[in-house]
Amino acid sequence: MKPSLSALLVCTLILSACATATTNQHVLGMGDESQLQKRSYQSRIFDTDDKAKTLRTVISTLQDLGFVIERADLVLGSVSGTKLDKQNRARITVSVRKKGTDRMLVRANAQFNVTAIDDPKQYQNFFSSLEKALFLTAHAGE
Amino acid sequence: MKQLSILLIAFLVVGCVAATKPPVDLFVSTPQLLKQRQLETRRYDGIAEMELISACSNVLQDLGFSLENSETKLGVITASKERDATNAGEIAAAVAVAVITTALFFPVIQSVSKDQTIRVSLVTRPVIDSDNIAMPNSHFVRITFQTIVRKTDDSLRYETLTDPELYQGFYSSVSKAVFLEAQKI
Repeated sequence: MKPSLSALLVCTLILSACATATTNQHVLGMGDESQLQKRSYQSRIFDTDDKAKTLRTVISTLQDLGFVIERADLVLGSVSGTKLDKQNRARITVSVRKKGTDRMLVRANAQFNVTAIDDPKQYQNFFSSLEKALFLTAHAGE
Repeated sequence: MKQLSILLIAFLVVGCVAATKPPVDLFVSTPQLLKQRQLETRRYDGIAEMELISACSNVLQDLGFSLENSETKLGVITASKERDATNAGEIAAAVAVAVITTALFFPVIQSVSKDQTIRVSLVTRPVIDSDNIAMPNSHFVRITFQTIVRKTDDSLRYETLTDPELYQGFYSSVSKAVFLEAQKI
């Protein structure tokens, strides 16, 4: 009887630890990296002044990667999409902003299930697909 | 008994830490995705983008979808509808499993599909000619159908639909609507 009682105690402890982990510490949480580090691997600059065309290319690139477009806004310059696979759900938001007079800054941030994607390689893959679709070379972001 | 408690703790820990690592090919195109693109895309000539997108949204309404979001300047429409997802075969199988496992003194109750949200994302984009200029009256339409099925235990299952007949059926309705739009009927 003794081991089952101790097991129950350990389970209760683990459960309560789970419960406290879901507090509002995530609301303004940015993970371990600095804002600057994040921006640098999440953004690229393209030599074009056509915002609508850039956004349309972002949309078709995301579609080719299996994402379904959920929202788009030309004025804000943003596109959001979701990729669903059985139990998993990846979400991405891409924003396009004018940088100077003739360049566009494209920034992407993505999450997988309940975790932010912070692997620069994943963003590199996205931007290399976008480069091919835009017929333009991506320059390092901010 | 000890082994059972260790197993129980291991289960709880696993349950607490959800799958967090995205697949390495999350942002990589695959042959399967290219096939899906062909399935989902059609080209329409001789109609302006606004007329094409309005014909598409009419077809979606005919099919009972409610529009959720749209940005016609970028050719994007999203829509959805909620429908029943109960499946006689699935329920029969679950009942059979429950009966057999109860007979073996280890009852297993399987969850079955309850209802579903059918989501649609439709995007139009101009065809680009050889001089890299957008053609005013030629466009691609790409539609994706997805279902989110809710089971009796409230778990969700996501699926992108890949049945060619579904897409053919949708586009044959769009072709009719485009004709009606062009004739102003």
